[in-house]
Amino acid sequence: MRVKRKVGKNLDEFLKETFVDDLPPDVAVGMRERIERFRAGKTKSAATSAAWALILRRSAWAVLSILVLVAGILLQGSKSSSPLSDRISALKAEFSSFSTTRR
Amino acid sequence: MTEIDQNSGKGRALIRWLFAAAFLIAVIASGVFSGLMNKAGLLYLVFGSVATALMGFTGREIVTAFRQAAGVAGAEESLSKSAHFWEAAARNAWVLGALGSALNFTIALGSDSGGIADISNRMIGSFVVTLYGLVLAVICLVPAMKLAGKAEDRRLQGEARPVTEGARPKPIAARTMNIDRIIGYVLFAAVLVLTVLFLIGGQPQSGSLPMDKILLHWPAILVVIGGAIALALFMGAGTGARAWTLGFVMTGLIGLLAGVIQTLFGFVHRDITEVSTALSFIISASSLSLLGLVAVAAPLEDREVMEGRKERSGSLSRLFWAIFPLLTFIFLVLTFIMIVTPMEKPGG
Repeated sequence: MRVKRKVGKNLDEFLKETFVDDLPPDVAVGMRERIERFRAGKTKSAATSAAWALILRRSAWAVLSILVLVAGILLQGSKSSSPLSDRISALKAEFSSFSTTRR
Repeated sequence: MTEIDQNSGKGRALIRWLFAAAFLIAVIASGVFSGLMNKAGLLYLVFGSVATALMGFTGREIVTAFRQAAGVAGAEESLSKSAHFWEAAARNAWVLGALGSALNFTIALGSDSGGIADISNRMIGSFVVTLYGLVLAVICLVPAMKLAGKAEDRRLQGEARPVTEGARPKPIAARTMNIDRIIGYVLFAAVLVLTVLFLIGGQPQSGSLPMDKILLHWPAILVVIGGAIALALFMGAGTGARAWTLGFVMTGLIGLLAGVIQTLFGFVHRDITEVSTALSFIISASSLSLLGLVAVAAPLEDREVMEGRKERSGSLSRLFWAIFPLLTFIFLVLTFIMIVTPMEKPGG
């Protein structure tokens, strides 16, 4: 363990001495490519998660709107009364009785 | 075009408008159409049209459209945008007319009956608002057609597109809510509330049935809102504001047809409750669909055109804007007929 650390320390010093100036061009290009790939991967995953979030949000809205639609259809089908329909019922009854009286 | 030509053009346009206004005033003053007077409906339509114009257009665009309708020259793009403004004004007047009739009809139904003849009169009187809407739409279509013709002429003459960079309208960020639009929405809400209050004030109310509840038939509200949102979502963002037009019109049409079918079943079953529930559904679904069209879909489509995201409104949207208010009117007449048609109870 101690030997390994010593070797590592020597390697660090060796690298510092060797690359005291700029990186060699081929190494710099390679590093840039690796950094680009790393960045692209990160951006892609962010875009994918944003797309998934959008799809989930849209799906939630779609499910909610369909539920609202179905609730409306069921309510209408069950002939649930409302003040407007009560009023129309009263008027229809009035018109019917008026017609009967005229006869 | 010289300055003298421009001035004479403006003068001719002014004389034409003055002549039309004088003719209109003379017709109203003659009293020939006094039976067709509905002050609340007229005020609702005029202020509602102003509000809906502000909801879809900026103040500058409206001023330009008025100036060009009065004969001021402009580049092809500017003329075609002004033509779109007048076409939108005609569309709004037509839709508002049908919406006004539906609201007026509902309020006439909800008011306390002063006898069968009285309530029938009030229901028929509500149809006049559609007539006003049609007349205003025709008036607005005149400058729309003229400006569209001028823009077409400019295009055929190969005139250069809008001149300098400085004269070009500033690009507006997509989907912004500027102050004109906010004023428009506030004014529109105020017009609707004041019209309803004015109509309620002029009619005897039923004590047991408050008017705010009469205007809300929940099944229709749920179906129209749910259906419109679902259709708009399924059509996707690429369709733009047309998805909302299609959503509201389709749910409205489905509501109208479903209502009529249920009414007919009610007549066959001799069930007054079924008939009245179905008729309420027809009235409420058509009102809400028209409201969605004029307050949500139409302003969004107008912004798309004025901001250059679309060249013009979709042909399907334009077809629906023309047909749906007409269908609403026809179904309201049918509703009136079905209300006054007597029904006998089984065995009665």
